[in-house]
Amino acid sequence: MSIQEQYRKRAAELLASGEVKIIIGYGAGSTPDRRRALFIRSADDASLLHVDAACDANLSGYLVSEGLLSDRKKVGIFLRPEGIRSVNILAAESQLDPLQIVIIGFNVENGSLAALQGSGVNDFSSLISTLKESRSTPEEQALIEKIEGMTPEERFAFWQAEFSKCIKCYACRQVCPMCYCKRCIVDNNQPQWVHTSSHTLGNFEWNLVRAFHLSGRCVECGGCDRACPVNIPLRLINRRMAQEVLDAFDHFSGMSHTQEPVLASFKKDDPETFIL
Amino acid sequence: MAKIGVFICHCGENIGAKIDCTKLVSAMNDHPGVSVSVEYKYFCSDPGQENVKKAIREHNLTGVVVAACSPRMHEATFRKACAEAGLNPYLCEIANIREQCSWVHTDQDMATEKAIEITRSLIEKVKLNNELQPIEVPVTKRALVIGGGIAGIQAALDIANAGQEVVLVEREPSLGGHMAQLSETFPTLDCSQCIMTPRMVEAAQHPKIRLLTYSEVEQVEGFIGNFKVRIRQKSRYVDMKACTGCGDCIQKCPQKKISDEFDCNLGKRPAIYTPFAQAVPNIPVIDKEHCTFFKNGKCKVCQKVCETDAINFEMQDEFLELEIGAIVVATGFQIQNTAMYGEYGYGKYADVITGLQFERLASASGPTAGKIKRPSDGVEPETIVFIQCAGSRDPSKGVKYCSKICCMYTAKHAMLYAHKVHGGKAHVFYMDIRAAGKGYDEFTRRAIEEDEASYLRGRVSKVWKENGKLMVRGVDTLLGKPVEIAADMVVLATAITPQPDAKEFAKVVGIGCDEYGFYNEAHLKLRPVETATAGIFLAGACQSPKDIPDSVSQASACASKVIGLFSRDQLEREPVIAVNNESTCSGCWGCALACPYNAIEKKDILSRSGELIKRVAFINPGLCQGCGTCVTFCRSNSIDLAGFTEKQIFAEVMGL
Amino acid sequence: MSEPFEPKIVAFVCTYCTYAGADLAGTSRLKYPPNIRMVRLPCTGRISPMFILKALQKGADGVLVSGCHPGDCHFTHGNYHARRRWTVFRALLNFTGIPLERIRFSWISAAEGVKFAELISSLTEDIRKLGPFDQYKAMIHETETPVSL
Repeated sequence: MSIQEQYRKRAAELLASGEVKIIIGYGAGSTPDRRRALFIRSADDASLLHVDAACDANLSGYLVSEGLLSDRKKVGIFLRPEGIRSVNILAAESQLDPLQIVIIGFNVENGSLAALQGSGVNDFSSLISTLKESRSTPEEQALIEKIEGMTPEERFAFWQAEFSKCIKCYACRQVCPMCYCKRCIVDNNQPQWVHTSSHTLGNFEWNLVRAFHLSGRCVECGGCDRACPVNIPLRLINRRMAQEVLDAFDHFSGMSHTQEPVLASFKKDDPETFIL
Repeated sequence: MAKIGVFICHCGENIGAKIDCTKLVSAMNDHPGVSVSVEYKYFCSDPGQENVKKAIREHNLTGVVVAACSPRMHEATFRKACAEAGLNPYLCEIANIREQCSWVHTDQDMATEKAIEITRSLIEKVKLNNELQPIEVPVTKRALVIGGGIAGIQAALDIANAGQEVVLVEREPSLGGHMAQLSETFPTLDCSQCIMTPRMVEAAQHPKIRLLTYSEVEQVEGFIGNFKVRIRQKSRYVDMKACTGCGDCIQKCPQKKISDEFDCNLGKRPAIYTPFAQAVPNIPVIDKEHCTFFKNGKCKVCQKVCETDAINFEMQDEFLELEIGAIVVATGFQIQNTAMYGEYGYGKYADVITGLQFERLASASGPTAGKIKRPSDGVEPETIVFIQCAGSRDPSKGVKYCSKICCMYTAKHAMLYAHKVHGGKAHVFYMDIRAAGKGYDEFTRRAIEEDEASYLRGRVSKVWKENGKLMVRGVDTLLGKPVEIAADMVVLATAITPQPDAKEFAKVVGIGCDEYGFYNEAHLKLRPVETATAGIFLAGACQSPKDIPDSVSQASACASKVIGLFSRDQLEREPVIAVNNESTCSGCWGCALACPYNAIEKKDILSRSGELIKRVAFINPGLCQGCGTCVTFCRSNSIDLAGFTEKQIFAEVMGL
Repeated sequence: MSEPFEPKIVAFVCTYCTYAGADLAGTSRLKYPPNIRMVRLPCTGRISPMFILKALQKGADGVLVSGCHPGDCHFTHGNYHARRRWTVFRALLNFTGIPLERIRFSWISAAEGVKFAELISSLTEDIRKLGPFDQYKAMIHETETPVSL
């Protein structure tokens, strides 16, 4: 039986037995090579679920939809390892109760699909530890190093060129499971910290604030990068910031559902070589 | 519409000579929202403040900026003036054009330009200031006094006599501190224990004082009026209720060879002991480290002889959590170890002793029952050399400061020696004689003139042993000649230092200390009793070296501060606190984790039918201290800090 | 040669340590260049990264953020939180091309008037050498330039 068949069967069982009230998974997309989120409440619909290498979206953001979890019933969800980390962060930030989440985990390695054993967030802790230790994606790393090798002026110019394309559609924010704020800082106009106009200054400020707010929280699922209609390489910034919190504070986001948020905690001996 | 008044102070020449105030005035008059801008020689003076008040009333001002000295200097003054003119005091801001402008810059044009910008940005801020009302918090009317020496006892008694509850904590088994160790006290030569022990008994028996000896403060949380204090009561292994203080156990303890700390290691004590005969409470403790039973599992002699079954080897430390409104820190001092002066031979020669050891020798209750005897062989010394400043005022090896009391006690020692050993000769090496105090100079003169102590102005370079004598080589700088004295005993006036754990303890209590570990007062001259932490006060030598009258005075001053604090049921606090916008809060609780004061609680927002709609952060206004760490953490900008709101800072920066 | 470039430097400081240290520099009559503008806040914990961006938007050529030494925070650990934020935000600024020489962080206690005066002097000199932050100013200029339709 293929993984997809196994998972359809599992989803059907979860719904039929009443263990979960809804399954958040992937269904057919607008083209044969795309998938989009699918919500099923009946075991009969399990056949509509797809699980394959094209399932790239991090669905965890749907878990914090208004009212979804307030009845205390369980929800099943298809997640890649990044998505499982997102669930951990959402739990650590009191946005959900991890006991309500039944994880149907899968991974895509070198283009092929692999099933992940387990259903509660804690079942995946050793997998996440492995991810922390074996953290490398050479293709992006080379680009990051290239940027870091530039002079500040060149870097500034590089990012100005990228940010000047931004149209402030906020797709990056809308797709991100971590951007669950009831009100985004950019929507606060008392005071207007971030220019809402899509001129470069406003774009620069928006992208800096976005990256800062995601520091130590981003799991690098790549959703914002894929969502960006003008192809700003947001994954590079996210990657760089994830590396920073790992290097400086040994913080790998989403390690567990009790992990302390990196910017709400501290150690007395945190590094501070740059402070005069 | 904003109607801002800008008041530019010349501060005499301090500002006026460097900054073109007239230009500043006209620049401010041109600034939007400014109704009136005036200059004056001294706005902090009475007529100056009257000008401000008059302008507030005449122009119906909605905000005030005073461009003058640092807000740390006169913000309170001008805010009060505003309040008196009917303007909410928090609608007043200070532009610091003295400390941070006229005093530090040389170029007049650029300094003026800077003053204009600073003032302008604060005008922009003050336009957005809100009227704030002081916050009222309840006061727990119970004081904690830490340290049971003379300072702590005095503070506790004064507070208790005013009818307020006191918890007096002492870490040693008995009250008394260093004063209980002294023989006679200068300048009156009255017996220290005779004046001390009645106070100790009074404190122990006072109905308003809860005495906790052999106890230590381990944790202090909270804030003025509302501290939570955790105290460890160390196990004495003696039931305080059952013990009658008969002393049989002390007599029978087979372990008798333990160095007696109270006697500065000049005497011996058993493993179960009271530090001294007049100890309060008169209940022994078992020194676990030296007790034969605790070491070998056998003995229990004390338990066998105790008629009231008070000995309990199973006893555990106990912890108390107390609610406290104010804290007096009176943790005292230690004397400096003089090992750094190898040339004085302390530790090498038994007859080179410290001043505190001399006190024990001279004390009627000491190891020699008040007879001056050499520690080495018990022989009465015929000649004693006293060395003052054996550590004090020596930046290279000792401490920089003057220990204040050594000139006096050395004179006293010379006197006591003369009184006890007729024909004995006292030599005192001194750098200066510092005898400022009531009756003090007369006292030292008496030592020199009546009791014939020979005072030699100079330092000692070496002490060595020769033919059974301690040879002291020094210099008499008044004669301009080296001196050698064959002495039987040498007494070092060691420096007074903070308690060895003073710095760590400062962190426990939440107060500051200097490089040595002496606790910092809020202001050396004007607020010498308060610390920077509201509700915590300092008494005695933990702040700086002090003699008994000074310690007692400061303790009484502390008591008056505490009584003043307790005279009100509610305390008014600065309204600079964080407030959360519950409608935009997502309840991520990062703020609660980041808050240094645990001031942020979870609050349920319920629907009319009682269902939970969401859970948000609630900032307890009594606990919040207004640091703003939560504000910066809050990603959705839901939290804001009164007095330093996001809007205000935005305007201030954009006004630059 | 035109007049020497006078940089604009904005400092965000806590009131208990660095602001008091600056006052001490004043009462000690130490001298330093007048290019610095101080914004007083209760604690470094209150200093948001947004403040730095707004200072740059107002044409600052350099920014200083300063507070109490670790362990000395009046609010016990506001500065420890601040230190983490600075670490992260500084890395972000660096990665996006804001020269780190322009954004400086320091611990200056209420007793360090001399350190304050010396730091402001050297900081002003460093930024004077770097010259105006033209790249950022060009970006600000763009926001002020009318669009022709």
